[in-house]
Amino acid sequence: MSGRRGVNTVRGPQSALTSFLAANNISAAQIAEDYRRRRAADPGEGPSTAAPTQDQDEALAAAAQAEEDEKKTKKRKRKEEDAIDEIKKAKKAKGGKAADKKEKANAKKKAKKANPDLDDSDEEDYDIDYKKAKPAPGQFEHCESCNKRFTVTPYSKEGPDGGLLCTPCGKEMTKDLKKEQKALQPKAAAGKRRRKVESEKLDGVSTGGAKSLVQLCLQRVAQHHDDVEELGDLPPKLLERLSEIFSKKRVMKPKTLPLFLRPDLDSVVVHDAAYLEEEDYLQMFSVVPNMKKLVLSNTCQLKDKSMDYMLERCHELRHIALYAANLVSEEMWHRLFREAGAKLEVIKLKWLDAAFEDEAVRDMVNCCPNLERLKLKLCRRIGQDSIDSIAELPALQHLTLHIGREVSNDALINLIEKRGSLLETLSLEKFLDADDAVVEAIHDNCNRLSKLRLSENDTITDAGFTALFDNWSNPPLTFADFNSTRDVDNNNPTGPEEAVGLASSGFAALMAHSGPSLKHLDIASCRFIELSAFCDVFNGAQSYPALEYINISFCNKVDTSVVAGIFQSCPKLKSLVAFGCFDVDNVVVPRSIALIGVPRAQDAIIQQGMGIDVDEAVGRMVEVGA
Amino acid sequence: MRDVKAGSSEYITLVSNDGFEFKIQRSSACISGMIKRMLDPNGGFSESTTNVCKFSEINGIVLEKVCEYFYYNEKHKDSRDVPDMDFPPELCLELLMAADFLDT
Repeated sequence: MSGRRGVNTVRGPQSALTSFLAANNISAAQIAEDYRRRRAADPGEGPSTAAPTQDQDEALAAAAQAEEDEKKTKKRKRKEEDAIDEIKKAKKAKGGKAADKKEKANAKKKAKKANPDLDDSDEEDYDIDYKKAKPAPGQFEHCESCNKRFTVTPYSKEGPDGGLLCTPCGKEMTKDLKKEQKALQPKAAAGKRRRKVESEKLDGVSTGGAKSLVQLCLQRVAQHHDDVEELGDLPPKLLERLSEIFSKKRVMKPKTLPLFLRPDLDSVVVHDAAYLEEEDYLQMFSVVPNMKKLVLSNTCQLKDKSMDYMLERCHELRHIALYAANLVSEEMWHRLFREAGAKLEVIKLKWLDAAFEDEAVRDMVNCCPNLERLKLKLCRRIGQDSIDSIAELPALQHLTLHIGREVSNDALINLIEKRGSLLETLSLEKFLDADDAVVEAIHDNCNRLSKLRLSENDTITDAGFTALFDNWSNPPLTFADFNSTRDVDNNNPTGPEEAVGLASSGFAALMAHSGPSLKHLDIASCRFIELSAFCDVFNGAQSYPALEYINISFCNKVDTSVVAGIFQSCPKLKSLVAFGCFDVDNVVVPRSIALIGVPRAQDAIIQQGMGIDVDEAVGRMVEVGA
Repeated sequence: MRDVKAGSSEYITLVSNDGFEFKIQRSSACISGMIKRMLDPNGGFSESTTNVCKFSEINGIVLEKVCEYFYYNEKHKDSRDVPDMDFPPELCLELLMAADFLDT
């Protein structure tokens, strides 16, 4: 009995009116129900409704009225159902066959629940039966779009007309759908776009306004790196820029590397060789045997065999920069210097932890008489002996050192005394114990320096720095980097009485000496420079005609008037980095200057000056400050 | 009747190697350093008198995109957060070489 309920509704004879109403999709019982509900909700409507006795006409009129309302509600419900169906269909395109069947069954059940007397069930059944039965998985079916025969699987996608698609067409359809969905997503992309713009400004790629056409094209090529087959006749400079962008996007892989290898090139520059394996290096050396300059960063997979092949093939090497080549053995380094050392002019090695001892440096010095540029950073196994060896390099002009092991001041002084007169670049990073005597040696021996970096040190005193710049026979520097030269003592935050590190008088002396030609100034974390010193140096009247980049991060005595002074004193300024300067606010940035790092949560990290002059900007700042 | 004075006409002509001619504003064209030098009356190039620049290595499609770029650049000169110009990726490499040649 219970099984029979609601499955097959048995109907008795019907009146003409009921038949008419049924033919127009109207259920008499439904009308009666609504009418009764309405009456219950509003009992004081009128005598006509209250009175149990109704005219036949009235009843008919009421029925007609109710019929109209019913039609409207039904129409609305129908429209709602259609809308729901459409949404479901759009979702269905993702789902498979099984989901389809469930959806249809659910839809039918819901329709039945909402309108229990809806006589559409017959029609629906008729609709479904009319459609071709979907073949079960395992059977063959013709694809709806390309008409190929394929085997149906539970994952076969449904096409727009209801038929099934073969796997390739199904994949294409999902791809198209995904593209459409992406196109309808402007809101989320707006935030990302902003971030992308800021990131590009930090990289120095865009300086306000539109990007250059070269830049736009390079980005596009990098975006479609998968499809590029050949780079044609690009000039070497563009090729290098393209390889930089490829490395940045981490798509410099074995597949894309051949694009950058041409027999006529004389340099191979790969800033991210992390994905390259042994065969790629062999290919590199075989395709470009005449290379003079080899720059490989993150070359974790460069091994002895590749180096051996390089020494065999490439006899013109002048410039070698290998960062993180940790699989190269000690003997191979010795071989490199002995066999190729005679011509080498530039050697840059960073991040060597496993091999490369002091003996290797000694071999290098012995075999490379023409070495002009040497950069040794973060090579864990070399120490003081290397410094002594380097002091013997006859032609050295540019020296960068960052050595982890202990190095005595005497060794440094010895190095500077022997090589100082030829040096144009000197960079000594993180020599924590270097003291005033070292700086004095620089003062006494170096008179051709244009780039000087002495960073991360807490021993040299302010007096030492002042003595360096006073009466120095060296012409003005173009690059000065003294970041993080300060006393570090958590128990004494205001610093010792006698200032340690670059402080007010040292800073003043530096700017007095090098102001006219200084291009790049970095005094980040020199936090003992007083506000008065800043104001004296950047007072608006004094002009620093070449200064383009200033970094005053974490000099917390800096305030807005200093920034205004900087804008006025430095006509060629391009970027000012000021992280951690908490007294700087309400800055109005003039045209073509990028102010990076001034902390206010609502503002961008980079405030790009747009369209106003320096004077106007400063004027506005003064107004705001006043 | 147009008065053609050297260096003062507002529109100049760029000619591609397959014969297409593009007349664009002088101010836009001079975004390219190369064109600016060609049209400079002090440079001594004949282009400065005729106001016509011929490019024998750049074809019409690429030159058209270049002109589009000139106007796009001038339109967005003073604004920030500029949307990138759109162009078909197939054109990319030729456009890159043309852009490098034109110093733009």
